[in-house]
Amino acid sequence: MDELSLYVLDIVMNSVRAGAEHIEISIIEEGEWLTFTVKDDGCGMTEEQLKKLSDPFFTTRKTRKVGLGVPFLRMLAEMTGGSVEIKSVHESVSGDHGTELVARFGRHHIDFVPTGDMTGTVITLIQGSPDIDFVYRHKGDGFDVRLDCNELKAVLGDGISLAEPEVLAWIREYLNDQYSPSGE
Amino acid sequence: MTLDKLVRALELTVINLGSGVSLPEKEFNGVYAGDFLSRAMSHVHFDELWITIMNNRNVIAVASLTDCAAVILAENVELLPEAFEAAVENGITVLGSGKSVYELCVAVHELTLRDE
Repeated sequence: MDELSLYVLDIVMNSVRAGAEHIEISIIEEGEWLTFTVKDDGCGMTEEQLKKLSDPFFTTRKTRKVGLGVPFLRMLAEMTGGSVEIKSVHESVSGDHGTELVARFGRHHIDFVPTGDMTGTVITLIQGSPDIDFVYRHKGDGFDVRLDCNELKAVLGDGISLAEPEVLAWIREYLNDQYSPSGE
Repeated sequence: MTLDKLVRALELTVINLGSGVSLPEKEFNGVYAGDFLSRAMSHVHFDELWITIMNNRNVIAVASLTDCAAVILAENVELLPEAFEAAVENGITVLGSGKSVYELCVAVHELTLRDE
C-alpha cells in the first residue's frame, strides 16, 4: 500500500463490517501533520478486542488468522513520527456504541506516502454500501472537499440508490470539482 | 535447494527454526527482496525466501500469510522481542546475515547457479 487512500479504504471497511449506519471520514492536512479520523456507530469493540487491535495476529475475520489493517496503519503513522489512537464503545456496554480512530502522520516526513486517489476511494465505499451515510471531508492545501450522503439522499428521495451509475458519476465530478477549485 | 545448503554456504545464523521444519529437508524456490510490507504481502510467494531489513511483528504476520520458506534478516538486524515471540508461536523460520540485501541476493543467485 503505497498510497494513503488504500489505508483509508482498508480502515473504513472495518466500520462497514462492524455494521455502521453512519461513518464520518475526515482528512485534515495542516502544518506538518495529516490527521485522518474515522468515526462510526458500528458494534464497537470490547476492551480485550481493543487491546489486541494493533497485533497483526488478531483479526475478526474468519477466513484467515492474520489482520494487518490497523498494524500497517500504525506502522506508517509511527514511521512518520505520528500515532494512532482508537476509542471504542461495544454494543454490550451502551446503546451509544461505535468506534473512533484518529491517525496522525508527519506529512512532510521522508517515509510518508502520497495521498492517492481519494475520490476513487469514496466512490468505491459508496458503491459498496449505498445505504450507509458517509460524511466525508478532506481539507488540504488550497481545497476543502465535503460530501454528505445524507444530504444527497434527501435531495434524491427514496427509491434512488447512491450506487446508481449516474449518481456515482455525479458524485465523482462533484468531488473532483472541489479538489481543483479553480477549475483546472 | 534446501535451507540447510543455503545456511551453510552463506553462513547464515538461524534466529528461529519453524516448528516441524528440518533445514536439510526444507526446500526454497525463488527469492523476494523488499521492506515495504504491504508489497511483500502480495509479492512473496509460497516457499520463497524473503530478504528484508524490517524486524517487527508485522514481518512475521506477512511471512505467515505468504507461507514463505524463510525470512532472511540482512545487515545484522535483530528481530524485536515481540516479533521473535510471534515467530516462535507461529512456526516461522527466520535466518540472519551481516550482508546487505543486495549482497544476499547476489550470493543466493550465485549459489543457485552453481547448484544447477
